[in-house]
Parts: sequence; C-alpha cells; structure tokens
Amino acid sequence: MEHPILFISVILNWIGLPVPHGPIGGTLLEKLTEPYLTYSWLIMAFLFVVPKLTLGKLELVPGTGQNFWEALIGGLMDFFIEHMGREKARMLFPVLATFFIYIVLANMIGLLPGFMSPTSSLNITVAMTLIVWLLHHILGFRYHGWKYYKHFTGPIAVMAPFMIILELIGNFARLVSLSMRLFGNILAKEILLGVLFMLVGAIFAPLPILCLGVLVSLIQAVVFVLLSVIYCVGAMEHAH
Amino acid sequence: MPRRRAIKLSQSNRERKEEKGILSDLANYSQSGMTFALSVVIGFGMGWYLDNKVFGGRTAPWLSFLFLGFGIAAGFKHLWDLSRRIAKDDD
Repeated sequence: MEHPILFISVILNWIGLPVPHGPIGGTLLEKLTEPYLTYSWLIMAFLFVVPKLTLGKLELVPGTGQNFWEALIGGLMDFFIEHMGREKARMLFPVLATFFIYIVLANMIGLLPGFMSPTSSLNITVAMTLIVWLLHHILGFRYHGWKYYKHFTGPIAVMAPFMIILELIGNFARLVSLSMRLFGNILAKEILLGVLFMLVGAIFAPLPILCLGVLVSLIQAVVFVLLSVIYCVGAMEHAH
Repeated sequence: MPRRRAIKLSQSNRERKEEKGILSDLANYSQSGMTFALSVVIGFGMGWYLDNKVFGGRTAPWLSFLFLGFGIAAGFKHLWDLSRRIAKDDD
C-alpha cells in the first residue's frame, strides 16, 4: 500500500527535519517528528488558538462564537452532572471535558485528506487511558483513605486473597480494553478510508464510510469519557 | 396552563433519562464483551509469565491453568458487577 501523504510530514521534510519512515523513529529528533505527535500538537495548537480567536472578549450577550462554546461547555457540564452529581462534576470537569474535546477533534481530523488521527496510534490512547486509570485510583484513595483497599477485597474476609487477584486482572483488562477500543475503531476507520480512496476514490465510494467515520468519531469520544466517568464514580462511592 | 407545563416538563425529563440510558448502555455494553475476553487472556498471560519466566518452567502448565481459571472468574465478576450496577441504576 502506498504511504498516504501527510502535510505536516511533507512540510517538515521540506524544512529539512528528519521524518521517520516506519512507525517509530530511531533518534530523538525522529521520535519527536512522528506523524501522530505532530498532528497531536496541531490539534493542541488549534484548541489554543481557535477559542481565543472566536471568543474574543466575553460578553453578557453572546455573539456567534461565544454562543457555540457556551453551548458546548454547558452541554458537557449538564451531561456530567446527570451522571455524577453537581459537586463531583465540577471537580472533574476540566479533565473530562478536555479529553472529550481533544478526542472528538483527534478522531475527526483523520477524515480530511492529508491529515491523520493521532488516536489511531496506540501510544496516544494508552497515555490517555493511563491518566484516567491513575486518576480514578487516586480519587479512590483521596475519598476513602487507606480503607480504599476494601474495594479490592470484597465483602468476605476468607475470599480476600482470591478477590485481590480477580480485581488485579480486572484492572488490567480495564486498562487494555479502554485504550484498545478507541485505538482499534479509529485505526479501522483510517485504514478503510485509505484503501477506499486508493481503489475507488474516483467514483466517491468512500462517502458512506466518511459519514460512518463522523459517527464513530463522536461515539468513541462519548464512550471513552463516559467510561472514565463510570470508573471515577465507582472509585468514589462506598465499597459494598 | 401550569398543569400543561408540568406535563411537558415531566415528559422532557423522561426523554432525558432515556437519552442518558442509551448512552451509558452503549458505553457499558460495548466495553463488556472486550473486557470479558481480555480478562481471560490477561489471566492466562499472568500464569504463563509466572510459569516460564519467574519459576523457570518448573511448575510448567499448572500456574497457567490456575490463572486461566482466575481470568475466567474475573470476567464473570465483571459481568456480575455490571449487572448489579445496571439494576441499581434502574430503580
């Protein structure tokens, strides 16, 4: 399969920076110019610059730009309040909303030709999953102190060593499945689009897949954030 | 007029609840199959690692089998937790 053209890599090559040909570069500089990293930075820059441009000064009567962001942030806040209550939603809002907006954008950018989804690299999804995984255990310890171990031992004392092994396996499964689902769905979308464009791009065959891609991007972002919410709520509530 | 408004409000509340149900069901169920399968695989992987790397093959197949059982049990425990959480959400 011919390698897809990625604009940032082409520009970096033109400037004279080395761009790795395989998935992982050899030197440090090559590692820094891997496509999934450069596109991740592009999205971060986009998220820094575009709200600044569209928001301008905050006004009491919102204009079009401010209206959009207010609807997005307000909608997300309502969504979190429904699932975890007002107080916890306010506490966790910055992390979860950042994840949601970043993942939506990272999934969607792959639909444009010449761009790739950073989330189609396992490195990015594992990093995000590790943050969520550490976060929900830290929240558990913060809410319950050392008694948080009761979440892992189950109700019966005799069964405790057995239950700890089960919980250990379950926690690893959580970590792997959360990252693999996002990664797998987005990579599948990317590969399918790439192949269809190459084979039958001239007769608009990828169009239905593009529509499905929009749907998958949104659903995967919602599912990722919702599962993070479920894990955090589970860690914060009392052991049964 | 107030009564009609109340009916309308309760309707929109129910709609919202249904919406929440669809999204959280999607998250729960799309994750559960994968978690079940991965629990089994990870359990077996831990047993294999203990057998071949930690104990150097002396306990050869036994720890793998034991941890495979643990993995299957962890998968069922995940399903058990999931069904209990859903039952709790419903009432």
